[in-house]
Amino acid sequence: MKIAQDLRVGNVILVGTDPMVILKAEYSRSGRNGSVVKMKMKNLLTESAKETVYSADDKFEQIMLDRKEVTYSYFADPMYVFMDGEYNQYEIEAESMGDAINYIEDGMPCEVVFYNEKAISVELPNTIVREVVYTEPAVRGDTSGKVMKPAKINGGFELPVAAFVEIGDRIEIDTRTNEYKKRA
Amino acid sequence: MRNESCDIFCNVVDNYGDIGVCWRLARQLANEHGLAVRLWVDDLGSMARLCPETDAARDIQQCRGVEVRRWIKPFPEVQPAGLVIEAFACKLPQGYIEAVAAQQRSVWINLEYLSAEDWVHGCHGLPSPHPSLPLTRHFFFPGFTSQTGGLLLERDLFTRRDAFQNDTVQQQAFWQSFGMDMPSAETLKISLFGYENDALHDLFDAWASGAQPVLCLVPEGRILPQVKRYFEDAGRDSSRHGDCVGMNPDLQSCNLLVRVQPFVEQERYDELLWACDVNFVRGEDSCVRAQWAAKPFVWQIYPQHDAVHWGKLQAFLNLYCAPLSSSASEAVHGLWKAWNQENGAGQAWSVFIEMRGELELHAQHWARQLAANNLALNLLDFSQKIGRMRALEIEGQ
Repeated sequence: MKIAQDLRVGNVILVGTDPMVILKAEYSRSGRNGSVVKMKMKNLLTESAKETVYSADDKFEQIMLDRKEVTYSYFADPMYVFMDGEYNQYEIEAESMGDAINYIEDGMPCEVVFYNEKAISVELPNTIVREVVYTEPAVRGDTSGKVMKPAKINGGFELPVAAFVEIGDRIEIDTRTNEYKKRA
Repeated sequence: MRNESCDIFCNVVDNYGDIGVCWRLARQLANEHGLAVRLWVDDLGSMARLCPETDAARDIQQCRGVEVRRWIKPFPEVQPAGLVIEAFACKLPQGYIEAVAAQQRSVWINLEYLSAEDWVHGCHGLPSPHPSLPLTRHFFFPGFTSQTGGLLLERDLFTRRDAFQNDTVQQQAFWQSFGMDMPSAETLKISLFGYENDALHDLFDAWASGAQPVLCLVPEGRILPQVKRYFEDAGRDSSRHGDCVGMNPDLQSCNLLVRVQPFVEQERYDELLWACDVNFVRGEDSCVRAQWAAKPFVWQIYPQHDAVHWGKLQAFLNLYCAPLSSSASEAVHGLWKAWNQENGAGQAWSVFIEMRGELELHAQHWARQLAANNLALNLLDFSQKIGRMRALEIEGQ
């Protein structure tokens, strides 16, 4: 069993009798100690997608799926194409890419996830390093890492980073939460 | 399809916020909308503080049109109501959930916490299909915008409030019930309901040394020990307040008179908010009531260990202060932050009270604006919509 808070894009869970792949998961703290997770999920039998919300501690049965190590090859709208070591190609719809779309780069190693032999999603390494291509000038004096400012990485995705980060810095990002971790 | 019955489940975690909201909602659904409401509460002692006729020893009783039931374990076998409200994701008993799934008749709603944050807009009303049973609960978020479920507001509240505020006889009766004469017009009346707060000392100093007499009414609660300590400290250090310290055994220091009030039921607390010029409130329920009172107020948000409450406070400040002039907005931000940071409230108070005229007008406008989004009505509309959709689904199968 896995709680909603720990579910990630690409995980497949059972809801009733339906296998559902998580396309998007957003965690928010509500009041007191409550938290909720808003999830977009797709039914792997009917292909229909829907938005849902769960308490962070709601429990789900996770379906363990086959995975294969691949590298990203190219984008053929609307499909992202990956290739394994034996030059087999696997296509994943843009809608099923989740937040991976923010970090995908040519030749990037990742894992494709299969359900009934069909590629349904991709999982990135938990931590990746990216270069900051734009951010406001660094704030002098603050080295705590607690004060944040927006920064754009190569590829165009924007995320909050520590105030002392500068253009050209390479930063570590947690791909599960889209959070800046530290300067690489 | 209209639901004629409603089960509300309330797990009292601490304080009176959870039960306060559930008790209001239960009464509104029962008395204003004619539903047969059962309120399941795991701590009837807390309920009895809000509704003194509740007998905390009884498992089943009628209170003001609501059937109040002790939420016991194991949970009794009951027929689930047409509308099931799980307050603040309190986790319904498993047997009850199975009964809901078996009969396929109930609409199950999780009533969430109040927040002004943007993410609430995207989550309000979304389904939450059960991971293993054939049923769906829906998340319903209270809030301050039309993209949320709104706020609890009794049908006649504004009428009662306005009648009270325009009727000197009612006001005199109110003050006399607290054993006091009606305060003079020049006295600034402040209610102070809060959690423990280190900024109290500074705030009391500001009130005591200010030019205007201040009458501070403190409902019994968690801040009380600090109130008493302030006056004990003052007694030990008479130079701080000069000769006036200790003149009144009922907690007086120069221009500040503090009266501690016994815990009052909800209707009486509303009157307290209406009778005062500025209200300090805490948590969720009293914060909403202060907004209905249409007076300037200061909100002490429920502090969370990982500091996420700051984002919630800022989100509300952004909404609440948007129509204000920059100086009034800064005054509100300044005092609310000082009060919640428990530091510097005295100085921030003097800036805040300078803006009193604008803040009063804004509070009136704000209350009128919020009143258009009534939680109980929205909840019933929403549950009827869900019921209709489900009926269509069943027909189509």
